[in-house]
Amino acid sequence: MKKNSKVISGNGLYKVIRATVDEVIDESPLIKTFVMTPEVPFKFNTGEFIELTLDGYGEAPFTPSSSPFVTERLEVTVMKTGYLTEKFHNLKPGEVLGLRGPFGRGYPVEKFFGKEVLIVGGGCGLAPIRSLLFTLIELKDKLKKVVLLYGSKTPTDCIYKPLFARLNKLEKFETHRSADRPDGSDWDESIGLVTKLLDKPLVNLKDAIAVVCGPPIMMKFATLKLIEMGFGDDEIYLSMEKNMSCGLGKCGHCMMGEFFVCKDGPVFTYAEIKHNPEIWK
Amino acid sequence: MNRSIKTGKEEWNRLLNLLVVAGEQIFAPVRKNGSLDYDLIDADNIAELVYNEAKPASPLKIFFLPVRLNVTSVNGMPERRIIIGAPACDIEGLKLLDAIYIDEKFTDETYQSRREKTIIIGAACHKTTESCHCTVYGLNPWPASGCDISLSAIDDQVVLTATSAKGESFLGEIEKQVSFTDAGEQVLGYIDKLRKASGSEISKINKGLPGTEETGRLTEAADANFWKKHSSKCVTCGACSAICPTCSCFLLIDKPGFEKIKQMDTCQYPAFERVAGGEDPLKELSVRFSNRYKCKYVWKPQRFMVLACTGCGRCTDACIAGINKNQVIREMV
Repeated sequence: MKKNSKVISGNGLYKVIRATVDEVIDESPLIKTFVMTPEVPFKFNTGEFIELTLDGYGEAPFTPSSSPFVTERLEVTVMKTGYLTEKFHNLKPGEVLGLRGPFGRGYPVEKFFGKEVLIVGGGCGLAPIRSLLFTLIELKDKLKKVVLLYGSKTPTDCIYKPLFARLNKLEKFETHRSADRPDGSDWDESIGLVTKLLDKPLVNLKDAIAVVCGPPIMMKFATLKLIEMGFGDDEIYLSMEKNMSCGLGKCGHCMMGEFFVCKDGPVFTYAEIKHNPEIWK
Repeated sequence: MNRSIKTGKEEWNRLLNLLVVAGEQIFAPVRKNGSLDYDLIDADNIAELVYNEAKPASPLKIFFLPVRLNVTSVNGMPERRIIIGAPACDIEGLKLLDAIYIDEKFTDETYQSRREKTIIIGAACHKTTESCHCTVYGLNPWPASGCDISLSAIDDQVVLTATSAKGESFLGEIEKQVSFTDAGEQVLGYIDKLRKASGSEISKINKGLPGTEETGRLTEAADANFWKKHSSKCVTCGACSAICPTCSCFLLIDKPGFEKIKQMDTCQYPAFERVAGGEDPLKELSVRFSNRYKCKYVWKPQRFMVLACTGCGRCTDACIAGINKNQVIREMV
């Protein structure tokens, strides 16, 4: 990895901020978190995303998994799922990445004030949610309650294990986990799909909003279940995963109907996008 | 009322020569091997310029969205560039490109600087082609706004009408170099007759073809079988998008040194929307094919309140599989 590449001038939109990898944390066999120090403090709102570049190889969108209240360090959690993410997984401390952003529309946390927040996460979808949780911890005086439901394929695939212990000790916070199937490792929580966790009464619907982030199939069924439970379409916040390439609403790769997910999203209410039958594809 | 002036063709050619000698970069339509397209003008081809025929083979966007461009290094744009002979359909298409590339939050400098440094001399279409259908979408085959000057060549005269402040100042500039006179009502009336005649011709050959909104409704209502049937001959070459005055999607390619290369792309190519996890909303050819129609007639007009198909007809001209976009639309009805 080049550390002293030539200075680039020109179109500011595509210029990267360099960030040095300080630490690589193994979260699960397929998921790692990269702790980075950007060359300048990096401000973002929770749920907004960045484009992360591996010099000369490629760029991909990720929502930071760290707290937006910390600007001198940034954490990004990456699941190994293709050519570029495999390269990311080989990164060592000291190597330099490029980042652009922040982009898009994140979580409108002020709309959560005075409410009970029900969060449903699946797999690596917990990454943006962790950033949201760090935000909600800071703002907990303004919230009634936060309930986190999280599903992973197996107990071993469950990421951020220390986070759950921390949240469960906090007033107003509770967590419930489910693994699709057991794998022999220690697990005293549920077995089954994460949507099963919604069968128990967890929040007072009169005063609640829901946040969903995970693989498309999980988002679809969690959303349908939340609607069946009585959540309004505008009370369900979805973080959509599309091929967000430029981050600027120009390249067209993330178009979802009339929306550029990179600019109008990635966080949408279900009410905003439900007219498009292709959102779950 | 916009100012119109005229000069003789020989004087006009002398002016172009003076501008070329002064180092101006001028592009204008020239016929080569039977095909009309933009060419860089020099002292040798000034006399070959073709005025007021229907669209050149390439859309106007090629001057603002190069096929491949390094967007992280300084881009080599001349101080000024003059494009002669842009048709109204292409000029209308710039409204969508401007909305995408020069938005309130993110302005693409490589696009904006090209727009600002270019003088567009549009030309009315006194002739039409079989695929022209701008009038179906409420346009006229002559530019009234969106360009800097409108040009009409009739007999041995060239008539110029300023359509922007930039155009007006350019007229002031060239009036100092060769002699122009007021165009006069008679000449303008004659031009109006010519261009209205081509407008009527376009309307006649496209009788019954629905407008943008109706096409949008039909496009949304068309089912999977319809798209499967009509996309069956598509070979995914992407020519329809490459040649479209409003298709502007691109791919970012990474080069060492954190350089980014922007390369024109299209939703017609496989994997356009594929994400690393493997999900690909446009995996099937028929869905990609329908995506282009929905983008042109539903999503972009809804989002930007401008036309995303301006009726140039190049997609039909360019399709090697012989797919006629308007025939597909007629079969939706």
